[in-house]
Amino acid sequence: MAAYTETDVLVIGAGAGGGAVSKRLSDAGIKVVCLEQGDWVHAMEHPHMYDGWELERKRSWSFEPNVRRFPEDYPVTGNTTPYTFTGVGGSTLHYAAAWPRFKPVDFRKGTEHGVEGTIDWPISYEELEPFYAINDAEIGVARRTGDPGNPARPEGWGPASRGGKVGHKMGSGFDKLGWHWWPADNAILTRAKDARLACNDCGFCLAGCPRHSIASTDVSYWPAALRNGVDLRVNARVEQINAKGGRATGATYIDRVTGQHHEVRAGIVVVAANSIGTPRLLLMSAQNGHPDGLANSNGLVGTHLMYHSWSFVDFWFDEPLEGFKGPEPAVLYSQEFYDSDPSRGFVNGFSLQVGTSLGAATSALGTNTGNTAPWGAGHRRFFDDHFGRHALVYVQGEDLPVRTNRVTLDPEVKDSSGLPAPHVHYELHENDRRLVEWGQQRAREAADAAGGVIDTTTTGIGGIDAPPPGWHIMGTCRMGNTPEDSVTNKWNQTWDLPNLFITDASSLTTGAAVNPTSTLQAVAVRAAEYIKRRHRDIASQTTTPSNAEAPAL
Amino acid sequence: MTELSVTPRDAKPPIGGWLPGIRLSGAQTAVLDAAADELIPGGGGFPAPSEVDVISFIARYVTPSGLEPKWFPFLGEDDFRARLDGLGQEFADAASARRVTVLEGLERDEPEFFTRLRDVVYHAYYSRPEVIRAINRLPAGRDYRNTPQPYGYSDVMDDWDDELLSRVRGTYIRTEDVRRVAIPADLPMCSARQAREAGEN
Repeated sequence: MAAYTETDVLVIGAGAGGGAVSKRLSDAGIKVVCLEQGDWVHAMEHPHMYDGWELERKRSWSFEPNVRRFPEDYPVTGNTTPYTFTGVGGSTLHYAAAWPRFKPVDFRKGTEHGVEGTIDWPISYEELEPFYAINDAEIGVARRTGDPGNPARPEGWGPASRGGKVGHKMGSGFDKLGWHWWPADNAILTRAKDARLACNDCGFCLAGCPRHSIASTDVSYWPAALRNGVDLRVNARVEQINAKGGRATGATYIDRVTGQHHEVRAGIVVVAANSIGTPRLLLMSAQNGHPDGLANSNGLVGTHLMYHSWSFVDFWFDEPLEGFKGPEPAVLYSQEFYDSDPSRGFVNGFSLQVGTSLGAATSALGTNTGNTAPWGAGHRRFFDDHFGRHALVYVQGEDLPVRTNRVTLDPEVKDSSGLPAPHVHYELHENDRRLVEWGQQRAREAADAAGGVIDTTTTGIGGIDAPPPGWHIMGTCRMGNTPEDSVTNKWNQTWDLPNLFITDASSLTTGAAVNPTSTLQAVAVRAAEYIKRRHRDIASQTTTPSNAEAPAL
Repeated sequence: MTELSVTPRDAKPPIGGWLPGIRLSGAQTAVLDAAADELIPGGGGFPAPSEVDVISFIARYVTPSGLEPKWFPFLGEDDFRARLDGLGQEFADAASARRVTVLEGLERDEPEFFTRLRDVVYHAYYSRPEVIRAINRLPAGRDYRNTPQPYGYSDVMDDWDDELLSRVRGTYIRTEDVRRVAIPADLPMCSARQAREAGEN
């Protein structure tokens, strides 16, 4: 028996990018091994039917790996709070499933202003659009077509999630102001698909979905990928990507059950370990010929980290809104202030997204912004005035790619297998601070237009002057235009190793002002299509071609 | 069959808490009930915490002795018992005003423990079926259910207002229409503007 496994393509990470790539390649009969350091999550491991369901979001379903402290998680040090999840499905196991697309202008921000590390994407919206459409169909998007603020999108698998009283209330506010708004696209089934049930508006999206209505890749892509024969190995923690003679040769991993080390050799290696995990793995893979880590000869691996700039603004109104119903994170959005207007004092823009409010305990404990019901004599009145009368408006701003916002390796802290923890440093740029502060005022304007605000609280700028939390982690191995400005070319091939691809949110050149998963997954599908059609070319490449010279699809 | 379990028993918190839950003594139960009743006084159509058995919920979420209390609400059995014993029967028997004074002192002097106690009492109370029924009598809570699943809320969910949506206006910049914008002059660390100015000089 060979001491190693051989395959056509090795995929590292079974989340948003890895799931999409594995499925698309295996559709074409390409032999794929996928390594995932976490395990499957069973439907009964979601807390939706327990009386402690709200408490469990701070416990077994905490957003933060440093709080969950599960053995499959790796610790993350530094000055920010990353929100990631480990398992088959990756962080899609624990995501909003809001499904907006980047706009055409988002691919041309270098042309528009070029501030800090901003460059143009090497591709346009029009080049990516077919892959958005393929991915939308795979995951079963819920959508209402006709948004005049975006290019036309194809019909969804089902209609948009219903907006409830919260949607009507805030939609009326935007309407009175004459501002753009539209029901959110969501990667949530509003019509059953395969073995997944349609959403029943239970209101608790951010602890996964036991109905499998939310398109986490364990239920969207993986069942088909496994039927195609993909060899998905769980509890398989990669310790190094191997390279020889200017090409990646595979990876070695630790089986977390047995502790044994294994090697997989592959013609092509695809890394999809998210924007913290991927640079960590590349940096951990320093070896002969690659003293600073793989794909890092220009020193850009881990840099230009983006999180979006955030402000959560909770509003309470003088009427019942029943925010315990319906899709929790994204009911509707306004993109009235999406485009750059330098007269505001900053470049780029933001989306205002409207969300809901969870249950009674969360209401008593401050909803999203720490507005906690007092204990004692004032408790009852506060609770009765606030519960079920709430809407969340959050400012989701585009943050600049800044070279010094980056992921490095922590010299001391290790994960449970003894591998180095990633260290994250992020400072909010002055441009982005101004943007989110201005956006908070627009959120207030919208709520006032809706009418009847009785109370409001906010996290301030980036969580009360702290760096923003890592809801959306993007851009640490970005695709670009030249070997000097990026880590990969426009087909996600690393500039240093032509058969090493990166297909997760670290690929995103800029972050736009919308939730990133639909875009990162469209980019992953596009890269998979390229590998599928061009794997013979890739096999013969000794250097990575420029964007102009790379074979077309 | 060999079970190859990668996860030791105490490596993850069991969903729903640890069964069967810690067993508090009669005196400890009285103290915890008394504290909970001051944190969330009954009345206004709502029961007192001691009337709806918040204890059994809390008992599942206090980390049993011998395990590290490393997950929310970060209360370990030994320390929790000791603190309840410290408050003692005197607290349980005291008048409401006296108990409030003691809790105010705890909030001031030991804010971390007080917050953990308050948080787990709030979670316990607002999970009780009797409390959900009281919420159902509020205008904003008439449809509220004990848990999100299995029922959800599709049966009582309002849909979009088509007339409102028909009035929405919006636009976007097409790829071919993207133009250079002026960069705010007072923006610090503005490498692009500096580069452009350097090019112009």
